[in-house]
Order: sequence, then structure tokens, then C-alpha cells
Amino acid sequence: MDPGKNQSLFKDKPIKILLAKPGIDGHDRGILVLAKAFRDAGMEVIYVGLLPTPEEVVDTAINEDVDVVALSLLNGAHMTVFKKVADLMREKGVRDIAIVGGGTIPDADKPKLEKLGITGNYGPGTPIAEIINHITERAAEIRKLKATGE
Amino acid sequence: MKVLKIEEIVQGILDGNRRAVSRGISVVENDYDTAAARRIIREIFPHTGHAQIVGITGPPGIGKSTMIGNLSATLSKKGFRISVVAIDASSPFSGGSLLGNRIRMQESLSKYGVYMRSLANRGLNGGLSRSVWDTVKILDASGSDYIIVETVGAGQADLDIVNLADTVIVVLGPGLGDEIQAIKAGIMEIGHVFVINKMDRQGAFIAMKDIEETLAMSPKGEWKPPVIGVNSLNGEGYEAFIEKIQEHRSFVKSHSDLTMRKFRTELQRTILEELRRRFESDISHFLSDNEEIKQLVRDKIDPYSAAEKLVKKIA
Amino acid sequence: MVNDSKSYWSSKLLALREQNSVNNRAYEEWKKKTLEPWNGGNSSGGREFVNSSGISLKEVYTPDDIPKDTDRRLLGMPGEYPFTRGVYPNMYRGRRWTMRMFSGFGTPEDTNRRLKYLIKHGESGLSIAFDMPTLYGFDCDNTRADGEIGKCGVNVSSLRDMEVIFKGIDLSQVSTSMTINAPAAILTAMYIAVGKKKNIPVADLAGTVQADILKEYIAQKEWIYPPEAHLRLIRDMMVYCTENMPKWNYISISGYHIREAGSSAVQELAFTLADGFHYVEMGQAAGLDVDDFAPRLSFFFNSSINFFEEIAKMRAARRIWATVLREKYGVKKTRSLLLRFHTQTSGYTLTWQQPLNNIVRTTIEGMAAVLGGTQSLHTNSYDEAWALPSEDAVKIALRTQQIISEETGIPDVIDPLGGSYYVEWLTNKLEEEAYRYFEEIERMGGILEAVKAGYLQKEIAATSYRRQIRLEEGKEVMVGVNKNVEEGEQPISILRISKKAQKQQLDRLKEVKSDRNEKKVIEALDDLEKAMRKENENTMPYILKAVEAYATLEEISNVGRKVFGSWKEPVIV
Repeated sequence: MDPGKNQSLFKDKPIKILLAKPGIDGHDRGILVLAKAFRDAGMEVIYVGLLPTPEEVVDTAINEDVDVVALSLLNGAHMTVFKKVADLMREKGVRDIAIVGGGTIPDADKPKLEKLGITGNYGPGTPIAEIINHITERAAEIRKLKATGE
Repeated sequence: MKVLKIEEIVQGILDGNRRAVSRGISVVENDYDTAAARRIIREIFPHTGHAQIVGITGPPGIGKSTMIGNLSATLSKKGFRISVVAIDASSPFSGGSLLGNRIRMQESLSKYGVYMRSLANRGLNGGLSRSVWDTVKILDASGSDYIIVETVGAGQADLDIVNLADTVIVVLGPGLGDEIQAIKAGIMEIGHVFVINKMDRQGAFIAMKDIEETLAMSPKGEWKPPVIGVNSLNGEGYEAFIEKIQEHRSFVKSHSDLTMRKFRTELQRTILEELRRRFESDISHFLSDNEEIKQLVRDKIDPYSAAEKLVKKIA
Repeated sequence: MVNDSKSYWSSKLLALREQNSVNNRAYEEWKKKTLEPWNGGNSSGGREFVNSSGISLKEVYTPDDIPKDTDRRLLGMPGEYPFTRGVYPNMYRGRRWTMRMFSGFGTPEDTNRRLKYLIKHGESGLSIAFDMPTLYGFDCDNTRADGEIGKCGVNVSSLRDMEVIFKGIDLSQVSTSMTINAPAAILTAMYIAVGKKKNIPVADLAGTVQADILKEYIAQKEWIYPPEAHLRLIRDMMVYCTENMPKWNYISISGYHIREAGSSAVQELAFTLADGFHYVEMGQAAGLDVDDFAPRLSFFFNSSINFFEEIAKMRAARRIWATVLREKYGVKKTRSLLLRFHTQTSGYTLTWQQPLNNIVRTTIEGMAAVLGGTQSLHTNSYDEAWALPSEDAVKIALRTQQIISEETGIPDVIDPLGGSYYVEWLTNKLEEEAYRYFEEIERMGGILEAVKAGYLQKEIAATSYRRQIRLEEGKEVMVGVNKNVEEGEQPISILRISKKAQKQQLDRLKEVKSDRNEKKVIEALDDLEKAMRKENENTMPYILKAVEAYATLEEISNVGRKVFGSWKEPVIV
């Protein structure tokens, strides 16, 4: 896997990412592939298994102090469920964890998700390198925010 | 809430605030040799010493995660505050890792509010991660009653747990066959409590007898490690298991030499680490001086004498 | 017993290895004399020729690549043991495959309309998909179901919903296939209850429920309880249906989802059949005569894009099933040896890019299914990579089957690829690789242990990761995705499920709960709990009673959650 840009930023302190499918959705082929690909790109990957609730996802993200939460759903419920995760994060005052999304997300929904702070929103068939690049960029922003507060 | 400052992290840890605890652990994990990390540890250290650190080791696939889930649930129900630290191996190729231990514990985590943190060992030999020493201090200072540390489970490399934990639990199970003989070699000396998981399975009872027999042959110390059988499916055996953990706690408390020894070991590793850190740049500077190295090669100076010369120079 | 079965798989594997290790001198000579001078040292242009199962392919196959007695020993004639060439003597000359299009979305009313539409356009069997909450045993009013109602299939929270789905459809004239697993017994009970209200005897109800719970743990991951609990409930259904519903196929042993989860063809083949063997053993352990229930087991395979590999897989599947059932499980009746299967074309191979290309992919995959001898077929709609299929797309998919059936001449001759050196060699090779997995699964302590340890899941995840890497590296090609890409593609128009579906379901559920006799519900659920706690009590009549009292899907599922607990999967990555 292409380790992507910003490598020096993460030397000896890998990107920590939480991968989760927070809905009622057992299609885990994609997320398992991503988990392995992210590991092979040098990230520390936390996968919590199937059917976590949005609350569990947010608690895990906070306790593990991840840089990025990557949400994936293929059951069409992203507008409801991704939003719940973003809302909970905001309620808990967390703004130094990035949220990225993926799955079967129609183009029309993407701007709405972006507005909630959920970026990426890649569909099936996206090259993994592209996804890794995006995550690395978001993680770099987060690391900078943590270091300087801005 | 804005981004946390160091003093907020320290205060938050002492207040038991999870976000502060989590961020504090990240600081000691990612920036362990910075002033910020040192400050956190310095300021919280006086508040440590309450928690019992329980190390859990055993071969992969033996059901350690499920067992820890049950153990932390049972302890939580008794009103204790539980933290879990799970260590996974980093990939030697990419440096990345898959931290999957939460899957089997998720129910206990959400239902009983158990705190859990996954750490990658980041290539450190010994199976533990460097930051785990500081991580348990943070969790201790934050008010945990028990800190359960799950090791990678890779045989010899796990022996380091005895230096970190107050109580070491060795988990074994039926059906390990010949493997058990190899595992026993190192592990029998470090265990304070032996647990046979999966008592519902065939061969569990035999495994239990086998361990008891081996322990009977080992040199008698003051603490005699008990062997407990548990069944993670229905929770059988967990009460007895917890009793033994607590008994060992009292044993440690009444033997202050054990606490001294632990501190001495940690001090030693910290000094060595500090020395290495301090002289690393001198050493690499010396090694990068081509002229000097050439001269050594020309004069056929052996590595020992060359090293002696360098150390003298630094000192 | 364990030792016996162990030696069965190992000895079969040894025999197959022996049979398939050929010394092809003619090929080697040709390669040296003709091919290599022609290629001038550059034999493949850097491309590797390997199929999904990781089997390397030669340039050409010859009579030496297959055993001498292939036609007599390995093939037999159609309708004759070991059924490699087909389960029936007349195959499609007698009866075409059933064109069974999966439908079900939104509200029960939506699905009812779609079913009637398909019946009008000549579809010969109904097939129903359910939404995620239904598949996991949650009612529409569970907070977890928010946003998921009707998204991937129709929502069923109580018997009332099933009554709407089949409104105006004569259940004695159709066969209904329901893609339902964890709550299969509950949905079967609902179907029985609908039939009863229409005065159709339970013995006349025809159809299939999937109820293949093993593949849920392996691939599709839609479970409620731990494996042992689900297997017990399926056993109850098996026994009940064997005794009361002669036209009800209670388990459709499914490789489809194993493949969609990213497995190879051989993994699909091996894991599906291994699941099948487990159900046979389960039926025997429940005291049923294997000849009474084996004919009721049917299969469900994927037809993917590697044309010959798929055909070989289906041929190998028939041979393995017949051989093992006869040799290992002592089946006596011919009917019990027949591996009959439904096929669905692959969803994995569809792309959202240049979606019309999917029609072509589906056509090729549909042809493979027919050449593989399928008994029924679902062809995917071209927009399925993106969302639930639209009506127009479904019609094209159905027409695709009708063209294969009516215009191409493909079904005119039975097993037209039989005797092809390549296809026969590949059939043998896949068979051998499947036995390698059977032996490995046995060594892990059987399929149940292998599944609980996550072994099969890890095998699939490894295959799917390898394929992804090959795609990224361009070693494998998907047209429109990593080759022949078109910039700035517009998203296709898709069927959207409105929020109205959720509202309507919630309203109906509320109505059901206020209309029903609460005392009867509580009583039925109590009785069900007692039955569940008694290992040897058949739960089916109690589930039926609860359904008829309008206890909801989730209420009934919760009884099991209380008795059996829930399940969390092993770590796979």
C-alpha cells in the first residue's frame, strides 16, 4: 500500500483510526479489506465488529483517542446513522476527531454529509490509495489541531 | 469543549475524566520523551498506588478477550472501577496494527462502563508496549480499582508482564496438546494465578490436572499459585477466580519487598532508556565520522576496544 | 466416528490428487516445439493467468489432462450418478429453469405491487427480500431501525405486514422463496398463518426459506443468537416441515453470500457443501431418515464473471454432493442425491461506473448458470450496485433470461460443455481443492468449531484482500473502474425509499399492538419460552401460536435473546 503523504508527521506515532459500521448492516467485506489496507499503510486500526450503536462508536473513539473515525454503511441508512454519530460527537464537545464516511452514498447526499463534517464519502470501487490519502490529510489536520489548538 | 491543554489533562485525569485520560495516554504514547509527557507523569504519580494491576497472558486463541470481558463485568457489578489495556502486535513491515480485542469485550464495555484502551506494541521486543508503563499510571491516578492488562500472547516475549503487573494471570485451555509443553517453559514461573478457560470443553479437566502437577514440582515459594477453571459461556468459576486475585493482592500488600523490587526494576529500565536517549546522538555522531572509522579499520582495532574508547570520550 | 469421517475426507483427497496428477507429455512437447519459438521467450506478456480460486491456467488443455475413464466414472449421463452433467434426464427440454426475481422493498404495499407486476410479466416464482431490521429480528419501532426501514427489502414487523404482501395473490398457485435466515422459523410461521386465513391447507404451501444459518456466521453476518441456538431452531423447523409441509424447502444452503463476502469460487463451493453436510448430520441426529429430508435441501450459488470457472464449480458441486451423500451418509434413494440449486448472478462484479455494462456482465453470468445446469435463476438489474433495482432495470434483467432461454439455443442440448478438456480438468481441480477444505475443516473440529474460531471468515477476508490489491495493481481488471474509465460520469437515477415507508410501518405496528389481545400475546410468548428451554421440545407450533396472536417479530425474537443470549463474532482481522 502507498503510505501516502505526510509520513514524517506520523513517524513513530501512527495514525489511529476507528473503523465502524454503526447500523444494522452485516456487509463487512469492504470494511475488512480497508482494515487490512490501513494496517499495511502503517495505521493503528481499531475495528469493533458488527452492529455497534452510534453511542458505542463515539465512546470508543473518545476512549481510544483516535485521530479519525471511518464510518461505512451499505444499507442506505447513512443519512440517519452517520448523522447520529456526528451529533453525538458534537454533544460531547469533541472536535479533534475527524469523521470520514463511505459506502453506497448517492452524490446528492454528499454535500449534506460534508456539512455535518463527514468527508470522503467514497463509494465502492474507489482506489484504496485515494481513501488513504484523504484519511492522512484529515489526520494531519487533527494532529495539528491537537498540538496547537487551532 | 476546546482542545485540551496539559494542565487540563492532568486535572482531568485526577478527576477521572475519560477524555483527559484518553488524551493523556496518547501523549505518553506518542510523545513519551517530551516535557509534556514527563510533566503528566510527574504530577499524577503521587496519586498512584491504589489500583491493582492484573496482567493477563496466555497463547492466542485461548479466549483471553472474552474472559477479560466477563472478569471486568463481574468486578464492575461488585462496584469496582475497571480499566482494560489490551496490547496487540504491530506489523514489522508497515508499523501498522489491527487492534481487534474490543470485539469480544464490547458488551461489558458498554453495559458496565468499563474503560478500555488498545495499544500497539510498536515493534518493541518483550510483547508489552513502551507506553504501557505510563498508561497504567494514568489509569491508576484516574481512580481505577483494577487495571487489567492483556498481553499479545506470544510466548517468551510476554514474560515482561511480571515486571509491570502486581498479579499475573496465566490463561490456558484444553486442546493445546504439545503446545502446552512449550508454553509452560517460561510461563510457569511468572504466573500467580492459573486459569483454565473453556471448562465446558473436552480435555479441560485434564489440562487443569496437568498444570497442577507441574506446579507441584516447581520450587516452593511463599505464594502457591492456585489453578482455577472457568467457563466463559455461563460465568462459572469467576467468583473463585476473583477471590484468588484479591488474595494475591493482600499477599503483595503484606510483602513490601515486592513493591520495592518492582520499583527497582522500573527504575533500572528507565535509567537505561534515559542513558540510551541521552547518548544516542553522541553515538550516531561517532558512527557517522568516516575518518575515525577508517582509522579504526586500518589499525585493526577490535569493536570492544573501540567502544571503550568512545564511552571514555563521552564520559 | 470422528476417526472414521477423518479418514473419509483424507482418503478421498488422496485419491483425487492421484487421479489429477497427470503427466502431459504431448503438451510439454508442443510447448517446446511450437509455442515457445512462436512467443520468442515472452510467453505471457507479463500477465498471469489465474482464476478466482488461485488456480494457474495453462495455454491449452488436452485429453491427457483428464482421466481416461472420465465419461463413465466422473460424468455419467444426465440424471445418472454422479450427476455431473445434470440432475434430470431431460433438463431444459423438459422444463426451463424458473425465472425467479428477487423483490421486496419499502412497505408491504410496495412489495405487493411489485410481485403482481412480475407475475403479470411472466415470472414463474416469487422471491422476497427483507430489510435489515427484519433480518436481525428488530421491529420497525426499535431505535436501531431508524433510517433502515424498507431500505434493503420489505419490512415485516408482524403478521399484519405479511397479510398485506400477499394480498390478492393465490398462495396455492405460486411458490414463494423468502430470503430469511435468523428469523426463518418466524417468517415461515407467518406464511403458514397467511395461508390459513386464505383457507389453504398447510400441506399445499410451496416455497423456500433460506434458513442457512451457518453461512450467516461465515459470510452474511445476519444472526441473532449463538450458532448452537439457531441450529436448534432450524432443527425444529426441519422436523415440523418434514412432517407437515411436503412442498416447503426449509433450507437453501447458500454459497451466494459466501461469494459476495469476497470468497473465491472454490471457497464458495467447499464452504457451502460443508454447511450442507452439517445439516445432513443434524437431521440424522434429530432422528430423521436422511432419505426423508435430503430431497428437501436445496442450494443457492453465485454465478460470477469467470465463465468457465463458474460452470465447472456447479458441475463439481453436483458430483461432490451425490458422492458424499451416497458414500458417507448412506443415502439410498436417487432423489436424495440430487443437488438442485438456484443461482443469482454476482452483485460483486457490478459497477456503479458505466452501469449499462452491468447488463453485459449479467448476461454472461446468466449464461454460465444455465450451462452449469441451474434449476432457477435471478439475474441482477444493472442498477443494483447502487441501490434497490428500479422497475425498468428489473424488466431488462428478466428479459435477459428470456433471451437466453428462447433465442440462443443454449438450453437445447444438455451440458454442452461436457467433455471439454478444459472444463473437465477444471471441474476435477475444483473438486480436489474442495476436498482439501473439507479435510481442513474436519481437522479444526468440524464446521461449527471452524466458524466459531473465525477460520472460514479469515480465509474469505484474505482472498478478498488479495483481490483488492490485485485490482489496485491492475493485475485484475474491472472495465470502467480501473481500465477504460470515463471521467465525469453522472449518477444514474435510482429508486429511493421515501421516509413515508418508515412512517407507514410505524403506524401499522402501533395499530396492531392496540388491536391485539394482549393476554393472548403474553401467554403465547410464555409458552414459547418454556418450549425453548426444553431442548427436545419442538418450538415451531409455539412460534405459530405467537405469530397468530400478533406477537411481533421482535417480541418473538426477544424470547430467544432471553433464553439463548446474543452473539458477538470472533476477531477476523
